[in-house]
Amino acid sequence: MMNSMIIGKYVPGNSVIHRMDPRAKLLIIFMYVFIVFLANNSVTYAVLTVFTFGFLALSRIPLSFVIRGLKPIIWIIVFTFLLHVLMTKEGDVLYQIGSFSIYEGGVKQGIFISLRFLLLIIITTLLTLTTTPIEVTDGVEILLAPLKKMRVPVHELALMMSISLRFIPTLMEETEKIMKAQTARGVDFTGGRFSERMKAIVSLLVPLFISSFKRAEELATAMEARGYRGGEGRTKFRQLVWKWTDTAFLAAVLLLAVVLFVLRS
Amino acid sequence: MEAQHPKWRAIDITLIGMFVALMAIGANITSWAPFLVIGGVPITLQTFFCVLAGAVLGRRLGAAAMMVYMLVGLFGAPVFAKFGGGFGSIVGPTFGFIVSFIFAAYATGWIIERSKDNPSTVRFVAASLVGMAINYVIGTNWMYAAYKWWAVAPQGFSYGMAWSWMMVPLPKDIILSIVAGVMAPRMYRAIRKSASYYRHVA
Repeated sequence: MMNSMIIGKYVPGNSVIHRMDPRAKLLIIFMYVFIVFLANNSVTYAVLTVFTFGFLALSRIPLSFVIRGLKPIIWIIVFTFLLHVLMTKEGDVLYQIGSFSIYEGGVKQGIFISLRFLLLIIITTLLTLTTTPIEVTDGVEILLAPLKKMRVPVHELALMMSISLRFIPTLMEETEKIMKAQTARGVDFTGGRFSERMKAIVSLLVPLFISSFKRAEELATAMEARGYRGGEGRTKFRQLVWKWTDTAFLAAVLLLAVVLFVLRS
Repeated sequence: MEAQHPKWRAIDITLIGMFVALMAIGANITSWAPFLVIGGVPITLQTFFCVLAGAVLGRRLGAAAMMVYMLVGLFGAPVFAKFGGGFGSIVGPTFGFIVSFIFAAYATGWIIERSKDNPSTVRFVAASLVGMAINYVIGTNWMYAAYKWWAVAPQGFSYGMAWSWMMVPLPKDIILSIVAGVMAPRMYRAIRKSASYYRHVA
């Protein structure tokens, strides 16, 4: 669990998709969010599905990881599907029990809408699986750099994100330690009445909060001692490199948009 | 002198990072403290830390902290409840709650800032309850809208239905916000007492 929090859901690998520039991946995702809405008939949905699974194949990520990523939202997809099947009344009646009937249009609509969900989730899960949160942060910092003109603190936001990612595992350890220390002092973390549980929370949260504040303070002092003065003129430890494959992938997605636009009804 | 007081001090940046980490832990606190599953419902401390962020950091930095939390989650770190995260979570029906933390922290910060020097515990409890109310109003409306437009839910899924789902965890959240309100002043004072928070380092 500890490990999974540090690197996110990243699955190490060396595929074309892994090596892609995070900026290119982010741009593709951004376009995809609009592109999925272009599909509105069987042909366009088929093209979109093939394309999405093509990306999945190129990433060489085992399907089981993708399915695990889908678990939390699978019920939403099922719910959406059932909602449409049961409530849309269009086309021929396919099945009838008493006064209750399932229509062809409902099944079709249900499949389309849940497929749209599914494809969008797959492509975004793919980003998460092939890119570490730090890489994403770096990519976003560069992509959003123009917003600095509008006085959006892009550099600061990216730094805060990196710091929080760094601190999550530390605070997790801290939580465990505090719980052990307080158990040794007689706090019952195993159960009890509601009011007792609330008291136990307080004995965990106050020290956790104070110790994390101390850490934040120490880090700030360390940053200032090393002369941190904001993003102006700072150089980067991790450099992003834009390759020809990145351009190629972007072009492919644009082509997909054009194809879908032509084929949609 | 103004140039020597940067808008974002190092301490602001690290404190926000820290609050984001606390939110991530608060969202999944039951994996360390299983006793917090009360009546089958796992408690999350997100609202708690959100209210605290607004109260301790003030409305501007508190809201910034919640925005960073949202972004970190969107970028793939599993910081949301049930270790959720990734861009996909934006289409989830509960994403509105994540968004509402930004406004909840802002409102809490605003209420605390209204009293100049020493806000009373009652004020903290009130701020905490307001924060929770904002959380519910935005979150539930978002959930309704998500089902209605995103999933194109047909008729039959009513506004009342969305709210009736949210009534189940409501009592638990009210109690938790009161606990948060009672605890917050202690932490607030601990931080405000600290020299480095007030010292404006050039």
